[in-house]
Amino acid sequence: MVSAKRKRDGSAEDATPRKLRARAAIEDEENAPDVATPSRRSRGRQVVEEGTPRSILKKTRGVDEIDEATPKSNRKLLFATPSKSTKDETPNGTPTIVRNADRSARRKSNRKLLERTINGVESDDDVLDEDILAEQILSGDEDEDTQAEAEENQPEDTPLLDTPSKRGRGRPKGSRKPQKQRSPSPSQDLPPHEEYFWQNRPGGTKTSNNTLSSQTLLDHDEFFQAMQSYTDCHESEMEFLLELHGRAYDQWIFELEEGFNICLYGYGSKRTITERFTAHLYEHLTNQTPYKGSKKTPKIVVINAYNPGTALKEVLLTIASVTIPANLKLPNQPPALMLYLLDYLTENPPSRPVPIILNSIDSLYLRKPPAPVILASLAAHPSINLICTADTPNFPLLWDVGLRSQFKFLFHDATTFAPYDAEIDVVESVNELLGRSGRRVGGRDGVGFVLRSLPENARSLFRILVTEQLAIMDEDGGQTNQDDVTATPQSKNTAKRIVSEYTQGVEYRVLYHKAVEEFVCSSEVGFRTLLKEFHDHQMIESRKDALGTERLWVPFRQEELEGLVEDLSAELS
Amino acid sequence: MEHQRCYIYSPLESEVRPSKRQRTNIVQPQNLLAERLQTFREAWSHQEKQIQTTLENADRTTQEKILDFIKVAAQPDPEDSTTIPTGLIIAGPSIASYGPYFERLGRRIKDGTDCAYLVLSSSESPNLKTLLKNLVQKATSRAAEDDDDELLPPGASSRNGPKLLNFDLGHLQGWQKRNRAQSIVIAIQDSEAFDSNVLVEMIDLFHSWLDRLPFVLLFGIATSAESFEDRLSGNSLRYLKGQKFDVTQSDEIIEKLFSATIASAHVSLRIGPNFSRRILDRQKDHVQNVQDFLDSLKYAYMAHFYANCTSIFLKDGISFTHSSPDAFEAVRNLPSFRRWVEDKLDSLETQEIRKLLDSDRYLFDKISQQLRSSQQVLSAINIAVAFLSNVRESLQITPSVPLSSLWIRAASGEMVESPLLRETMLSIKKIPSNKFLHLLSSLRNVQEDHFSLELDTYRTELEELVKNSTDSAPLRSQHDVRNDSLRTTVVAQKVLLSKHKAALSEQDKAYSELVGRFHDEIQDYFNTTFVDPQELFLSEILIYDPKLPHIEVFQPKPRFAIERALSTPHDYLGCNCCGSSGRDGEAALSATQPATALLYQLYLESGSLINVSDLWSAFNAIGGDEDSESKTMALFQRALAELKYLGLVKPSRKKVDHVAKMMWKGL
Repeated sequence: MVSAKRKRDGSAEDATPRKLRARAAIEDEENAPDVATPSRRSRGRQVVEEGTPRSILKKTRGVDEIDEATPKSNRKLLFATPSKSTKDETPNGTPTIVRNADRSARRKSNRKLLERTINGVESDDDVLDEDILAEQILSGDEDEDTQAEAEENQPEDTPLLDTPSKRGRGRPKGSRKPQKQRSPSPSQDLPPHEEYFWQNRPGGTKTSNNTLSSQTLLDHDEFFQAMQSYTDCHESEMEFLLELHGRAYDQWIFELEEGFNICLYGYGSKRTITERFTAHLYEHLTNQTPYKGSKKTPKIVVINAYNPGTALKEVLLTIASVTIPANLKLPNQPPALMLYLLDYLTENPPSRPVPIILNSIDSLYLRKPPAPVILASLAAHPSINLICTADTPNFPLLWDVGLRSQFKFLFHDATTFAPYDAEIDVVESVNELLGRSGRRVGGRDGVGFVLRSLPENARSLFRILVTEQLAIMDEDGGQTNQDDVTATPQSKNTAKRIVSEYTQGVEYRVLYHKAVEEFVCSSEVGFRTLLKEFHDHQMIESRKDALGTERLWVPFRQEELEGLVEDLSAELS
Repeated sequence: MEHQRCYIYSPLESEVRPSKRQRTNIVQPQNLLAERLQTFREAWSHQEKQIQTTLENADRTTQEKILDFIKVAAQPDPEDSTTIPTGLIIAGPSIASYGPYFERLGRRIKDGTDCAYLVLSSSESPNLKTLLKNLVQKATSRAAEDDDDELLPPGASSRNGPKLLNFDLGHLQGWQKRNRAQSIVIAIQDSEAFDSNVLVEMIDLFHSWLDRLPFVLLFGIATSAESFEDRLSGNSLRYLKGQKFDVTQSDEIIEKLFSATIASAHVSLRIGPNFSRRILDRQKDHVQNVQDFLDSLKYAYMAHFYANCTSIFLKDGISFTHSSPDAFEAVRNLPSFRRWVEDKLDSLETQEIRKLLDSDRYLFDKISQQLRSSQQVLSAINIAVAFLSNVRESLQITPSVPLSSLWIRAASGEMVESPLLRETMLSIKKIPSNKFLHLLSSLRNVQEDHFSLELDTYRTELEELVKNSTDSAPLRSQHDVRNDSLRTTVVAQKVLLSKHKAALSEQDKAYSELVGRFHDEIQDYFNTTFVDPQELFLSEILIYDPKLPHIEVFQPKPRFAIERALSTPHDYLGCNCCGSSGRDGEAALSATQPATALLYQLYLESGSLINVSDLWSAFNAIGGDEDSESKTMALFQRALAELKYLGLVKPSRKKVDHVAKMMWKGL
């Protein structure tokens, strides 16, 4: 049943019967040389290079393979257990081996070469999946194992050929038995490394082409509205976890007093913990010698490094503000400032170490080179107590042995399961994840609104950019619609597909020349000014590609862009 | 407050009160905490002193050599002004200890000479310009506060000539003029990590300034001086006049520290064998860092005194009134107390047991008495280990086993009957007189009060024997192989091997008797001293052995913790709703789990590229709420954003609405 369905959507036209015929013919052909000569391999290659029957064979086999491969892509849910599908359709269970076979670089280069020749000859263009096709070519090319496999499978597959099974007996059996048992479905309890290789196998990522409609994702207002009415059913458990961590506060204070620094890790926002701990520490310190009975209050520096734009200088200045008298002039550069701060602390040690609460030490803003070094040297100073939290799982990789020993951390698991409310802007980061940052401006309407407030020139420039971008998208439209029958010849198609991942957007130069041609602007300065306006409203994005050319694009998807063009041209006319 | 980047904490008025009440609640059961911590500080300060002296001794010789070298280099040498004096410090592979080492060195140099000391590390010197900028900055910023009376800003020399750029060594020259440092010592902390071009350029530049600035270079080298030379061009090598200094390697220092702290005879708190093995293995396999070793040790002390309320009895001169009933109750629950009482029960000392159970006073007396005797036993073990290690060393038994592993064996009670000890005893039996003499004199150093062997009598007797011996060859005991001969006889077509003792001379006989006595006595000594420390009464108070706190605090597995929290949230939450079904494997997915956990488990099942739309429908199908899709969507978005925040997914450009998987569980 499955296969029938597959065929229907795989190739809707009359291609199917013809292919079947072809396949039968080729199977004969493939078997014939097998019997005749033992030097199958070289011959096979020759044939391929000539681009004659072999290529057709590939194609037919391709259909076989595709038969297997397609259901995966058509599955609605990625997560349904895949074991079923393979069982009832593995007369030809080779693909794993085939895929395994083409890992080497040599084969890959071969593949490219072959692809070209074959694509040249082939006129028929209902090739469903390029990758798989390529793998076919390859499998025929060299691997004896695969051929053996294929042969072995054929008798089962096609009743026509039950006689040649004799040949099969002549081969050493041990070599192929285990291979045959291999199935393309993952077993349930793979060890982690096996699972990694399984999920990363070439051609293993078949996902559907479903997309989220732009209405499904919530914007900020909707999101907060939805979250307001939501209560977590684990509230009491989370509170219990917090309380559990709370019992360790005194221990942490003791550890700090003994000259260690503390690092909290684990899943969930640890802000609540640090907040409560800060209060506790404050309370503790007010009862200690330098503060007790005096009007002086303990100074605890709190740094929320997850906030965008956290700069080292600001951090250092805040620390300096509680340690160094205000009348001293501080150096300007962070490294010098840090040295000055440390020197000052060494020479005028405060009666108690200065506690620093640092939320998210592994935040994006503190990862860049000078930051960890400076933080480590700060933490190493005896007059500074650092309590920090780390959110990402691999944060220890930020520090080498030297830094790590400077930090003198004691680590505590502080899993809270609390949502990262302050750390993450949920809507924004999902949009970014899905490449829809255009939604920031408020979608199409927002862009329209901005454009209306801009001069005529800006609107024209934006229109040019959008049309150019659409043109580029159209050119490699095959990328999104793979079974697009009307697409350009495959050779071009594949070439573009490889490139297109890297060439999103319109080249800066190209756009500039277009703009000049259409009298939108007369100089590059003017052009820049116009672009800046777009940048400010986050209507366009830019980046340098691998070759160093700057590319610009409007962060919308195709439909929305088309809509935009309509709007714009409607306005212009 | 959470959206402010940096601020100084100030409590809200409302927060102050409840937290106060909380505090008193928490402190109540720990009423002797302060005393225990005081005891900890005393115990640790004792250890710290040991550590400091050990470290200083380890460093001293090389550092003094370096210091002398710098002093000599600082004297202007009219004959040879074309080369930069250079110290090559072979500091070994433990990069982590470089920082502290150069810091100590710097302190010594500053104290001992009139030189400026500047450290450069690879991370702040990616190219020559930055290197120089840092150098100038480090030198002049320090000067700025040294010379408060001098009103000139650091860049003052610019007034006389063109304005200098901030990486011009002219700044350094101006600074040098004002401070009149004898020489400028520049330590290149991790020379291997520097780009060799930067090094070459730096040396060339320094050389060209040598007539104005008295540079001395120190290179920290992890590999070897030869490979350092290979990295420099011949030209710049000619500018250097090098001298090599070998630093004590960290594993040697660790071994020394081990015998000074853990295996020392006079410590109040002992460390158990499991824990010691753990931190030594960590040293060997992962970190090679003296500081880390010390931290682990300190944390063990901290943990013992903080968490174990019976540790109060380790306090010097503790009186009954100072201890609390809780502590006695805790002692009565110790396994070693139970064992002890059971033994007493077997010998029918019921009165005694009753008293122990009823009277805190009586128990207190017993505890202090027993603690003292147990301490002595433990000290005796440590001395015996030192003795054994000394014996092995002077007998040159191969393979040489470090003291730490001997100690661990002894501390876990495996020493008696161990092949190691038997081997040692056998070689004592065979010892020739010259080695025996050597052994006896070397053992003198170990001799302490608990040691009952009368080495001196052996010594005099031995000397007597040697004097009487006419032969120049050393005396041999009867077990010496050289006194055995093998005889092969053929009897009835069978080869018979038989051993024959050579006839012993009178002196040899006497010597054999002496050695035999010595051997037996040592054997006795070892057998009585090497008891299993875990069997001792109150060993829980005297010995700290749990590994777990150490592992958790020093070797965390943050990734594992997060993966576990997300894949089996029940482990952390302990809730009723999403628990137990997860035990039998696959049925773990349930709608009540936190959204991120749910999404993470779906994420685990997918391939390296994930279609978000499909992910959403799967999520909706499992955790969906029929009433409001927007709520489910909000949760989904939040979960997805969290996965991104944790670095589990990243945007993919391969396909629309797809994300790339970044982490595989359990790897």
